Amino acid sequence: MNMDEARGADPLERALLDLPLEEPPEGLRASILLATAYRPAPPFSALELALVGSLGAVALWLIVLLVLGGGSLFVHTLAAMGSALSRTFSNMAILAWVAAGGATAVWLTLFTGFQPAMRVSHRSERSAGR
Amino acid sequence: MKTEPDDGDLVAMALRGQPEAFATLVERYDRAVYHLAYRTLHDVEEARDATQEAFFKAFRSLRTFKPGAKFSTWIFAIAYHACCDRLNRRKRYSGDELPERADTSPGPEQRVIALDEATRLRAAIDALPEKYRTVVTLFHLQGRQYEEIAAVLGLPLGTVKTHLFRAKEQLRRLLGEMEVTES
Repeated sequence: MNMDEARGADPLERALLDLPLEEPPEGLRASILLATAYRPAPPFSALELALVGSLGAVALWLIVLLVLGGGSLFVHTLAAMGSALSRTFSNMAILAWVAAGGATAVWLTLFTGFQPAMRVSHRSERSAGR
Repeated sequence: MKTEPDDGDLVAMALRGQPEAFATLVERYDRAVYHLAYRTLHDVEEARDATQEAFFKAFRSLRTFKPGAKFSTWIFAIAYHACCDRLNRRKRYSGDELPERADTSPGPEQRVIALDEATRLRAAIDALPEKYRTVVTLFHLQGRQYEEIAAVLGLPLGTVKTHLFRAKEQLRRLLGEMEVTES
């Protein structure tokens, strides 16, 4: 049943259906859009945050080792880490897999196209004339 | 001739990363959602917050929107639940039986003198118990689509029809009383 039919018989129903909607407060739409569709992109991506967090955690761990175990333990730990890294990257199989992964990532980016961050609308709350 | 995309198309476009599509949905429904929130909560600031919350939740869970469903029913249901949460919080903090007692302004009889028909009708709707008021508000927004109203409120169809019937009876009585008071 469409609205015209619904408006039919009963005067009370007709009056209800014709009742004007409440006027929303000024700036409501702009604030909704800013919180949803036109939300500014975060200053850091999740990957960047994860990277910075990991580096921070490693740095904290090293500092704790340095404080608790003295200089020798620190040097020993660093040497162990360096040796593990060099062993890892001297393995040709691992290097090949890293190269394959990187190439696939680049190829997928080219294939799917660059996805720009959502831009902020010109209809911000400030420009809405508040 | 250029036709406007329907709500389902707009949801699909928004999911494909087109923010303008969701903005169009906001433009279509923000006023109606605010109206529902205001009629339920009787408070401009809370209605504003509930409206924002409803659209924010809808945006975050857009992927859960079922293709073929009505966006209006979905967003009204989200908004109605946001309003119910706020009403429950109010009840918890005040201990009053809200929202029937939330409106401390004079009763409908005092308010309607020299008011136009729409204002008088609004005052009468405000004087209804909450369960009837919400059904009447959704009837106003969705017409005689009782299934949609039932879906928004999570009530059986028969209950919706009964509530609407009783609400209209009470409205007629209130409007009649208002006319008597006025004359």
